[in-house]
Amino acid sequence: MRGEEVIASLKEFISDDTLIVSSNGNVSRQAYNFLPQPQVYLRGSMGLPMSIGLGLALAQPEKQVLVITGDGNFLMGLSSMTTIGNYKPPNLKIIILDNAIYATTGGQETVSSTVDYLKLLEGFGIQHYGSLNSIKSPSKLLEAFEILLTSKQTAVLHINVEEDIENLENIPWQPKEIKNKFMEKI
Amino acid sequence: MIKSIDILNYLSENNFELSTGVPCSYFKELLIELDKSADIQYIASTREDEAVGIACGYFLGKKNCFLIMQNSGLATIGDALTSLAQLYEIPLLIFVSYRGLEPDKTFPEHVIMGNVTEAVLDAYGIPNWNMKGENWRKILDKALERMNEDSSVVCILVEKGVII
Ligand SMILES: Cc1ncc(C[n+]2csc(CCOP(=O)(O)OP(=O)(O)O)c2C)c(N)n1
Ligand SMILES: [Mg+2]
Repeated sequence: MRGEEVIASLKEFISDDTLIVSSNGNVSRQAYNFLPQPQVYLRGSMGLPMSIGLGLALAQPEKQVLVITGDGNFLMGLSSMTTIGNYKPPNLKIIILDNAIYATTGGQETVSSTVDYLKLLEGFGIQHYGSLNSIKSPSKLLEAFEILLTSKQTAVLHINVEEDIENLENIPWQPKEIKNKFMEKI
Repeated sequence: MIKSIDILNYLSENNFELSTGVPCSYFKELLIELDKSADIQYIASTREDEAVGIACGYFLGKKNCFLIMQNSGLATIGDALTSLAQLYEIPLLIFVSYRGLEPDKTFPEHVIMGNVTEAVLDAYGIPNWNMKGENWRKILDKALERMNEDSSVVCILVEKGVII
């Protein structure tokens, strides 16, 4: 499956009480287009979606915070996963969409395919984690979402997705507008 | 000299419930006091840009977090400031230790950043105050007023021995 198909199939799991943080570039454009609005659509701050998710999860412990990040963003912000592994807010869930490329900037390879994500996540002290290849096993995706989003602990799901360098249109909202609309819904 | 507990009480009265950052020895006492605080939690970040991310996420969740870092950390947070905090107009209060001045003569690693610290803040358009002496509450009042009015990032510079 392509990243945008994976994001689109998340839709039925997203309620008004789900707060989504999406990483810069294609991922936030896909979240904007295929999931209920408004959410936190990052325009920049590459590497920081997990940290922003941690702050949001600490401020809103009654709500579910879902970070959707590309592999490039995840790897850039890797050290923030140690902080998350340490503080473990139970309402924080992270999905890594691993296309093994920087799709947004033209599809240059990342070094993601070197990583053993299960070992990595275990090493961070993440309590609940899994990895799924959506290209080989697309039928398992919905079950994996279910497990992730009903988990009572900090949980992370790594998903291998197809390479896809097609870019959607830019998000029309100005950053300040994104902030205001998002904060109004809380 | 300003007592750590007085600063934390001031910040707690001003609705800060979280703090995060990376330590500097200038903040040793403040961090000990934070560790004991029942009102303000401290998150030990691994990097200063991560700390900016945490504080911005906390603000988007409608709560206030302040930051603690060495001026060396100012060199790490450029993108987090310009493409997150400032871009989305998220108010942030950052305490920055002012290393590289006279007392740091034997710390060459701080000297170059010390020389450009205020120029860096000015270049980012971040209003900054050197907090020392008796009127520290007035300085913080002014910084918070500016932060809230403009929804902007503001910075408090802290020299050696100022916070005890
Ligand atoms: C600090 C920084 N460096 C580089 C960029 C350029 N850039 C924007 S999106 C992106 C790729 C992000 O990769 P990934 O998270 O894997 O998402 P994908 O594009 O594959 O969906 C890059 C390198 C940037 N925005 N910020
Ligand atoms: Mg990618």
